[in-house]
Amino acid sequence: MSLWVDKHRPRDLMKLDYHKDQASRLKNLVQQSDFPHLLVYGPSGAGKKTRIMCLLRELYGSGVERLRQETMNFTTPSNKKIEIMTVSSNYHIEVNPTDVGIHDRVVIMDLVKNVAQTHQIDSSGQREFKVVILNEVDDLTKDAQHALRRTMEKYVATCRLILIANSISRVIPAIRSRCLTIRVPAPTENEISSVLLGVCKKEGLSLPTELAIRIAKCADRNLRRALLMCEACKVQQYPFTPDQKVPEPDWQLYIKETASMILSEQSPKKLGEVRQKLYELIIHGVPPDVVFSGLLCELVKNCDMAMKCQVASHAATYEHRMRLGNKAIFHLEAFVAKFMAIYKKFMEESLGDVF
Amino acid sequence: MSDYPDPDEEYELMYADDLELLKEHEDIEPNIVKRKPLPAKRSLDFSSPVTKKLPVITDSTQENDDNRIPLSLTPNLQYTEDSLTPAQSNKRTADELFGDIDDIDFDNVELPSKRQKTEEETDLELINKIVESRKLKQMLLEPSNVQRKFESVFNAKENLSLDIPRWPFMPVTNSDGERVYVRFESEDAWDQSLETSTNHHSLHSMYTKTWDEARQMLQKKQEEEQIRQSQELLPEVIVDVNSNNLWVEKYRPKSYIDLLSEEPVNRALLHWLHLWDKIVFKKEVKTTEPQQRNSFSKRTGQFQLSNKWRGKREAEPELGEDGRPHHKVALLCGPPGVGKTTLAHLLARIAGYRPVELNASDERSTEAFRTALQSATLMRSVLDAEKRPNCLILDEIDGAPLPTVELLVKWCTASAVEGKKKAKSQPLKRPVIAICNDLYATSLRPLRSVSLVIHVGGVSLSRLSSRLQRVAACEGVVARPRVLAALAARAQGDVRAALHALSFTARRGLTQMKMEDVEKLSIGNKDCSKSLMQALIAVFTAGEGDIMKTVQAAGEYDRLIDGIFENYLSARVDSRLRIACETLSWLRLYDLVYSWTLRGQNYSLYGLLPMCIARCHTILATKATLKLKFPMQAHEVQKRKSELESIVKSVWRGSSPSVLLTLTPLRLDLIPLLPYLLNPTLRSANVQLCSEREREAVRTCAAAMCDYGLQYVQQRTDEHLYAFVLEPDVHKAAFIGNEEKMKPPPPVRQAIAREQQLEIIRRNEMMATRVNTNKPGPSEAKSTNDKKVTLVPAKEARLPNHLQRLKPKDVDKTPQVHKDFFGRIVPLSQVQRSDAVPDVISSSNVFYQYREGFNNAVRRNVRMRDLL
Repeated sequence: MSLWVDKHRPRDLMKLDYHKDQASRLKNLVQQSDFPHLLVYGPSGAGKKTRIMCLLRELYGSGVERLRQETMNFTTPSNKKIEIMTVSSNYHIEVNPTDVGIHDRVVIMDLVKNVAQTHQIDSSGQREFKVVILNEVDDLTKDAQHALRRTMEKYVATCRLILIANSISRVIPAIRSRCLTIRVPAPTENEISSVLLGVCKKEGLSLPTELAIRIAKCADRNLRRALLMCEACKVQQYPFTPDQKVPEPDWQLYIKETASMILSEQSPKKLGEVRQKLYELIIHGVPPDVVFSGLLCELVKNCDMAMKCQVASHAATYEHRMRLGNKAIFHLEAFVAKFMAIYKKFMEESLGDVF
Repeated sequence: MSDYPDPDEEYELMYADDLELLKEHEDIEPNIVKRKPLPAKRSLDFSSPVTKKLPVITDSTQENDDNRIPLSLTPNLQYTEDSLTPAQSNKRTADELFGDIDDIDFDNVELPSKRQKTEEETDLELINKIVESRKLKQMLLEPSNVQRKFESVFNAKENLSLDIPRWPFMPVTNSDGERVYVRFESEDAWDQSLETSTNHHSLHSMYTKTWDEARQMLQKKQEEEQIRQSQELLPEVIVDVNSNNLWVEKYRPKSYIDLLSEEPVNRALLHWLHLWDKIVFKKEVKTTEPQQRNSFSKRTGQFQLSNKWRGKREAEPELGEDGRPHHKVALLCGPPGVGKTTLAHLLARIAGYRPVELNASDERSTEAFRTALQSATLMRSVLDAEKRPNCLILDEIDGAPLPTVELLVKWCTASAVEGKKKAKSQPLKRPVIAICNDLYATSLRPLRSVSLVIHVGGVSLSRLSSRLQRVAACEGVVARPRVLAALAARAQGDVRAALHALSFTARRGLTQMKMEDVEKLSIGNKDCSKSLMQALIAVFTAGEGDIMKTVQAAGEYDRLIDGIFENYLSARVDSRLRIACETLSWLRLYDLVYSWTLRGQNYSLYGLLPMCIARCHTILATKATLKLKFPMQAHEVQKRKSELESIVKSVWRGSSPSVLLTLTPLRLDLIPLLPYLLNPTLRSANVQLCSEREREAVRTCAAAMCDYGLQYVQQRTDEHLYAFVLEPDVHKAAFIGNEEKMKPPPPVRQAIAREQQLEIIRRNEMMATRVNTNKPGPSEAKSTNDKKVTLVPAKEARLPNHLQRLKPKDVDKTPQVHKDFFGRIVPLSQVQRSDAVPDVISSSNVFYQYREGFNNAVRRNVRMRDLL
């Protein structure tokens, strides 16, 4: 726990830096000794996990911070052995079922049942339920989500589920209706910069406000990224200067580069070059939807309003299709080709007006 | 004027009377009149005719140029015009002038020797001869088509009259009683008219009908003759049935001339076989110089073909330094039934070998194969009177297992280490011919690179049909040439299938083969599986049969789609990217359907997949030949992705639970920034000399590495130095392209590594103290108690050796209960009374205890103070 991200993570609900109303409401929720299943959602780096850990600490005391890492084994109906890594304390267990891909249903069924069917031995002075935290619920297969909904009701006496998702659009309504949904919005840039300033103060460093704002802008409203970037700044150069270079994740730069390539020339040859770049991004594990949104953000900067709408709608369609399919590269390239076609037409028309 | 007749004159000379022939010529001369391929429907073809290549100008045309240019009035202008629009120029190549000269028998037209006459004369003479002989041929072949140039001189209207004419006449009364006056003619005039009629009235044109009739009669006669012959031959055929002699066997080519395969192919193999002569027959091999070969082939009109099979190998020496051919194995490949095996056997025999065949019916395990190879290549037959050396023919090698092929390759390439190794691995000294259908079978991959690959194509239609005709004549099957031609076309170059079909008809007792028999045959449309590459080429080539069939024959839609995806951008001119968008929309549809099919295991829409590909074909197909790439990219991407994924996963597994993230944020946020965090800027190398802040930085860095399970590992570099390498290599996953970015210099790495080791020790210590000293704060009391259930075993196992203390084992202090033989409890007093002696023993501090398998049964507690 030496990086700032981990070191300065708030451990108490009342010490959270932003969304304080929500924090107090959560505290109230816990103090009434009972709480329903939760579905916490919000963009990456907004502080979902931090809030959940604070909540658990409120609930069980500091015992939840003694974590251990375990590997659990499951056997699928087709007799395939699968392994999954879990993080657990005495009171809760956290698992990421999407790690096992399409076999996530087995994990959900076995794991949740396992936990839920074992009652606490000594329930005096403790809650009589355990908590199961499921990560990335929106990426669960439909099967797994359906498996979840019955389990949720059946074992409600002994176990509470906390589901974490980026967006609830891909969580089936049956689950949504069984949970108390808590939205954790991404912090604003001001909030991020104030957090950065606070952290630096705790570290005994002086951070210029301009730099804090610049980092916040670069971080895409992702506090985790902002903190990491801030620390990277510090490692690279201290004392800070307001105009120092802020290290950015390489893939972000790469997407920007790709976008400028698309804008520079629209031809099949260029499309072939862009494809190599897209492949490179996929190889580095950047999720295709992130590539989509990154490209779209960069590309629409050069468009007029009508074209913006057109491009955005195309991007949405193609991204949706991509999720239904398997070969992300087809859909990415199709979007790039479509944009190139639109953009070229637009350019030719506008040039035609000039002449 | 020019040496050649004016085109118009020549036209009169040659083409006036055979318009039909002219049509044929248009088909035959595609290389002269280069027709520009029609622009594809969607493409925007900006290429002007100017950029087109000039047709190859032969020598004679150049002469033509030389003669013509000084004569023309505006030489320069004309010249440029000519060069710009070659298709419309007046100049014509020799081929154009003569048309296809192959159909003229050059034996009759003797080639004039160049020494005697000047070139121009010879050319002129040649032209005349060609024109004459062609006319002759036309007359003989198609008499009916010869146009009459002169009208009949004898005209009834002019020479007969019902009235009394003015010219001299002779009155004649006809059968009806009418008077007719016939003109008198002078004897000279009569002679003249007679002469003209005999001269100009072609005999043939007069008797076209008769000619036809005669021909028909002849044909009929011939047919009858054949039927009669076949009836005579019938008993013989039955004998054949008994001896089970297939026609394919019976009419197998017996000599080089009989071979149906293409001449260059035959020659290539024969040439290769003769290259072995030096090593096998101790005879000097004449390796023809490339120059000679070229001129030789030019004369036979096979310049292009011979270039094709030798092409790029021209530069290579054909013989290795040990006198063996450069390629030790000849690999014949081609579709089934074209005569590869026959070719190999026949040529081996012609070259003086005894062919030894090894095919799929023989066992082909490595062991069996080795013995076969040894016996075939190292020994020779004793029984054979001629003492011919063996030539091993490995038929159907594409079905052989991979180890076998590898053995063969090793055997062939053994020569390089000949000197060093024992005699056991003798170099190959006999030719080996391997035969396969599919050159690109996976097991053949090692062989392909070391062997001379000879493609045996399908037999040409005309040769096959003429051969069928001969066989049919021999066997007495009556079949029209037209029928046989149809059969040959149906067989698609498969000699075996065609012959079998013919023999089948004969065996059914039919003596005549009709058109409908051929149509009913099931050959030709066999279930031919196409390779992926063939299908891919078909997708990108316009107008090649049924694309759906090809695609379905190839299967592997997924690879095919990948292939299309990798190649479609270069397929057509597409400046507005419309084609790209359209193609991609179909590729996307394919992806959707395919994923849906796989996800639900519901194959009801599977039939849609080839349609997507077929649609891509209609969008992308062109006449131009493309250089297609084999779809490898998707696979490579997958490979590299999993490689980087494993790095991310190992960071994920290694990170301690308190800082654990899910994979996506790890990938997107932490790992890309981690290299920056692990690169502290230090002034000097030695940590002791650093300022407090720098030491702090190093310590943070080391702690972070501990948290995320990273460590610097010493690895030996190429310069025999030890270097610290980060394990797992986060840099690789963090940066795209420039992996070397942000790597700390070696001294810093060393400092961090040292610091990290200290950090690990520090952490262990902390852990140990937490476990050992059971004095937690009041708040932690409960949690440590809980921890005992689960945590303690794990923690104890982790305790370092030197911290573990030996603990005395607790002795069981339960009072002993004495039991008798039957298990009843004996009262203590009774025990004491009966067992006085054991009591003494038990009270002494030396005791015996029997343990199975334990030999130091005597134990005694000895105290330290007793010894001192």
